[in-house]
Amino acid sequence: MTDFLRSLDDLPVTTPKWVGKPIGRVEDPALITGKAEFIDNVTLPGMLHCAILHSPHAHARIKSVDVSRAAALPGVVATLTGEDAERWTRKMYTTPDGWGMYVLATDKVRFVGEPVAAVAATSRYVAEDAIELIDVEYEPLEPIVDAFAAAQPGSPKVFDDHDDNIMYKRLFSWGEVENAFANADHVYTETFRWNRVGANPLETFGVISEWNIVENTLTCRGSFQTPSYIAMGRAATFRLPSNKVRFIGQPHGGSFGGKGGGRGTDITAMLSRKANGRPVKWIEDRMEYLSSGGSQAWDRHYEVSIAVKDDGVVTALRVKLLDDMGATAEGFGATGAAKPMASFTGCYAIQNAEYDLTLVATNKLPASPYRGMGPPPHNFVLEQMMDIAARDLDIDPAEIRRRNFIPADQFPYIIASGNEYDSGEYEAALDRVMEMADYQQLRREQEAAQAEGRLAGIGVVSTIEPGVFDWNAYTIIGTRGIGIPEGVTVSIDTMGKITARVGFPLEGQGQYTVASQLLADYFGADIEDVRVVLADNLTAPPNFGPGGSRLGVALTGAVLGASARLRDKLIKVAAKLFEVQPEDVELMDGELRVKAVPESKLSVGNAAAIMLNRSDMLPDDVDPSPEATFAWTAPGRVEPDEQGRVKSYLTAANACHIVMVQIDSGTGKVDILKYFIVDDCGTRLNPANVDGMVQGALAQGVGAALLEEYVYDDDGQLLTASFMDYLLPTVHEVPIPEKDALVTPSPFTPLGAKGAGESAIHTTPAAIMCAINDALLPLGVRAKEVPASPNRLWKLIHDAQQA
Amino acid sequence: MPSRDVRLSVNGVSYEASVEPRMTLVDMLRHELGLTGTHVGCEHGVCGACTVLMDGRAVRTCIMLAVQADGAELMTVEGLAKDGELHPIQQAFMEERGLQCGFCTPGFMMSIHELLKATPDPTEEEVKDALGGAICRCTGYEAILQSVRSAAKKMRP
Amino acid sequence: MKPAPFDYYAPASVAETVALLQQHGNEAKLLAGGQSLVPLLNMRLARPGVVVDINRVEELNYIRADGDSLAIGAMTNQRSAEQSELVRERNPLLYAAIRLIGHPQIRNRGTIGGSIAHADPAAELPALVVVLDAEMRIAGPHGERTVAARDFFVTYLTTALAEGELLTEVRFPSLPAGAGWSIQEMTRRHGDFALAGAIATLTLSGDTISEARIALFGVGATPVRLPDAEARLAGARLEQALFAEVGRAVSTSIDEPLTDIHATAEYRRNLAGVLTERALIEAAARAA
Repeated sequence: MTDFLRSLDDLPVTTPKWVGKPIGRVEDPALITGKAEFIDNVTLPGMLHCAILHSPHAHARIKSVDVSRAAALPGVVATLTGEDAERWTRKMYTTPDGWGMYVLATDKVRFVGEPVAAVAATSRYVAEDAIELIDVEYEPLEPIVDAFAAAQPGSPKVFDDHDDNIMYKRLFSWGEVENAFANADHVYTETFRWNRVGANPLETFGVISEWNIVENTLTCRGSFQTPSYIAMGRAATFRLPSNKVRFIGQPHGGSFGGKGGGRGTDITAMLSRKANGRPVKWIEDRMEYLSSGGSQAWDRHYEVSIAVKDDGVVTALRVKLLDDMGATAEGFGATGAAKPMASFTGCYAIQNAEYDLTLVATNKLPASPYRGMGPPPHNFVLEQMMDIAARDLDIDPAEIRRRNFIPADQFPYIIASGNEYDSGEYEAALDRVMEMADYQQLRREQEAAQAEGRLAGIGVVSTIEPGVFDWNAYTIIGTRGIGIPEGVTVSIDTMGKITARVGFPLEGQGQYTVASQLLADYFGADIEDVRVVLADNLTAPPNFGPGGSRLGVALTGAVLGASARLRDKLIKVAAKLFEVQPEDVELMDGELRVKAVPESKLSVGNAAAIMLNRSDMLPDDVDPSPEATFAWTAPGRVEPDEQGRVKSYLTAANACHIVMVQIDSGTGKVDILKYFIVDDCGTRLNPANVDGMVQGALAQGVGAALLEEYVYDDDGQLLTASFMDYLLPTVHEVPIPEKDALVTPSPFTPLGAKGAGESAIHTTPAAIMCAINDALLPLGVRAKEVPASPNRLWKLIHDAQQA
Repeated sequence: MPSRDVRLSVNGVSYEASVEPRMTLVDMLRHELGLTGTHVGCEHGVCGACTVLMDGRAVRTCIMLAVQADGAELMTVEGLAKDGELHPIQQAFMEERGLQCGFCTPGFMMSIHELLKATPDPTEEEVKDALGGAICRCTGYEAILQSVRSAAKKMRP
Repeated sequence: MKPAPFDYYAPASVAETVALLQQHGNEAKLLAGGQSLVPLLNMRLARPGVVVDINRVEELNYIRADGDSLAIGAMTNQRSAEQSELVRERNPLLYAAIRLIGHPQIRNRGTIGGSIAHADPAAELPALVVVLDAEMRIAGPHGERTVAARDFFVTYLTTALAEGELLTEVRFPSLPAGAGWSIQEMTRRHGDFALAGAIATLTLSGDTISEARIALFGVGATPVRLPDAEARLAGARLEQALFAEVGRAVSTSIDEPLTDIHATAEYRRNLAGVLTERALIEAAARAA
């Protein structure tokens, strides 16, 4: 490992010109002119178009599949059924292991929307005509839709070769939980329901697969969130040598964890093979995304208890979770059930805790990741319990949190579930947001509103937003490996221009800009002289890409590491030139200078030119290559212990939200009146990027709390199959909060930044729900189901008023 | 039914295409005319990613048939910049961080173009009215609102 | 999501349109604004053999004052109607109803006639024509006829338009001088289809209500007038408690409210009552 720069002050520049400044993004010119190459903009010679036939049944045996009429339609070049998938692929890799299927249904269908067959034709229009000509004979089976029923022994089974529908069941116990509850002054227990919600990036998944039948290689272009990782998956699925699979990530229209695309990639790959190697494109349409894509997450039933002392100090937390994973574990939705352990007890010093986790299979869409990866519902239930205790003990909700916060002088702090919080000042954040909100005044406004009979409420929540994930966060549910290399290659050419090769495509966070800023300041260059280029999975250094709020930190580490290695080479070149020792030379402001004799200096560009053009001037131990690679991974990660305790997520950003709402008692509709945020994500490498993440995640949090919900009926039919029913927030529904930032640098990361990509979605649903329940307090009822739709809230209010 | 000829002007350039009546306007723009800056997000008229100006009005091209544009004058994102100079709306978006992934951006910019042409000094309500018909999943709208205000200022004489 | 194949015609006159409809019978579907139809085509939920696009029938594009009424051609664009001085002056309630339709981008293509002929239970214009006792002018193979609003909406997405007919004009009577009006709707997001809505008009004579009209939308398969509530209000003294009472009565009177994932029958009944009350309050405030 190279030495890591702990703060911006350590950069080899007198005054940073680029890092930490809100400069324009290098990604923008192509996007703003409509020139960026989203996958559906790409056309290849001979390209065909794929349409997929989806199952109309939630659970049914497949008696027969006849594609002959489809194959006969003019314009159809290839067809594909489950037989092909069985012949050519392995069952999909899943987490937990063993709960997967082939990419096209074979013996039975297990969820509405499951791909059953596919065609490749000369246009998507013809392909959709063709799939209507595919005859499938189904024998409907009883659909298993209720999670509790599915978890019972004797329930009909989603997978006949499993004993039951339990994908995973384990009780984790940390500290002295029994004891804490036995000695509590008060015990509070409540149940909660969080309904399915999901990513919905504006661009659905898309792919063009090309199977070279001569060389037996596969090339895929697509809107992949993590190309090299997904490439590996395809190699495994097709039993292809991993270096025969080439994945090129296109700039894509958001992911938020739920882009999906495994099945579509495999289906188009096989169609290409059947079509004699012609490229086959599949653009997932929105209805396909909603019903059969990476679109759904967090279908949860919670039972939560806390043990509390008279003074409001919480001594133990019990969380029982039944998480409905849907029909298979292919979507990695299970990771969302494991991640809460990274911040299980939130901002609070609760040393005794228990996690009773059950993952169950049902005949619904396999759950996928979604921004936040699981903690948003967990934080919602935890913050609700804090408020429940506060009300019962007549302690102000802000105050009860204050009494439970991990004190600022106890970091790094290891929580009951084993993760380590790097740094934090939760009280300072709370103080600042209360000041911004003029909290006492807000309470007075609330009282005045309530005196007029209006349902006004205030929510005060403080949460952890874990950042920089590692695979060990998910070891408990079957993910293998520790460490996630994120590599960058930095090179300087003869003209002194700097190029960085990365393995991840654009998805909106502005990471190419962050990399450019760092490189420009590191080598004293103008940002115009830096270019970040995407390398495919075979030419990029080891990498994963965005996910788990890791990329900002990992990329920073990789860029700094590669830059340091390159610097060391350049220093050797300068040392030879000036006839001094390497330790006598330093890099500063783009120049390699002899420390004692600063007039003896060589620009970085000239040093690179010497390396490439004057081998006679090089020291023996320097190869003529002004280039270096470094792959960063979080230090100190190990496997979980026998109780699942593990240092997983490297950083713990903190956010404190105060929100004021009013509920229309006639309609149940919620108005967000005021919103205040203080967020602390450590060093802010690009403040504008961070602000964008916060506001975007806030909007998703509002959607999750009030609008977005996937609804299945008792037959497993999806009732929210279009944007008419799955409701994304528009400009009218999203508040613009007052924001302020606290900066508590991380002691563990390069430059002290913390993961910040997932941001406010960890906190906003909890904040809004706490405010809603604060508003309902006078009526003695509690909203325990998310989203708090107008119908649900009205029903609560109405029933309370009748009573 | 055999294909029908469609003659239209897009960004001041004349185009001719022969399309099936069932082809949507956005598909014709993207795949027949190669103007891929206009995007598809939902194909049922909700998300606004496909918005272009047709005879000056912002319309959702995913729920229009290509044949309906015969004889029309369209403006798409490709028509905003002139001779390499970005349009003030584009400038504003870049300066105010009105985009993150950029997928929804062309659609938003066209609606904003219609708004500012008709109402150079819009009220907050008029701005929200014009933006309310499109979805952005990345920005949370704050930066888009700022972009509109900035564009309005730039475009006012 | 691509449409199934269809034949397409773009007639330039009402006569041509009627001839095409006659020729193709139940295979033909009229395409007006397309904001409702084309999504259904894309989803293949609608699969007409023939699409008759009437956007080029210029003779159906007009807004005229006609005595006390506004005569609006069926193919008048919603946005054009919204921006018409004549509409704003002559019928502020019509203006307000149009403003609630979706978003400007929808109104840029949607038509006055199209919304009424499509008859979505949650749409504003059908309820508006019912509350105003508007008249629908229809052209068909047997010539022209007029249907009153109260007879026009038959059931879910079904109107009195027979096969081969098209709506040519809607005549909107103006409100009586000094009448107050209000349109209240409950949507989950701004611009969405209403879960329920109420339109009320009140004409006062001093402190007394001389006439009240109420229509609900989004609650049943068609928009409905509320004759019982209207009778209760006619001749009554203007007061808040009365409106609350009427609201409650309306709530319980709804027979078979629509029920879906956004609103149960019980909740819709409640909304019907709440929105009726609020509409009456606002209408009273506007009344001179």
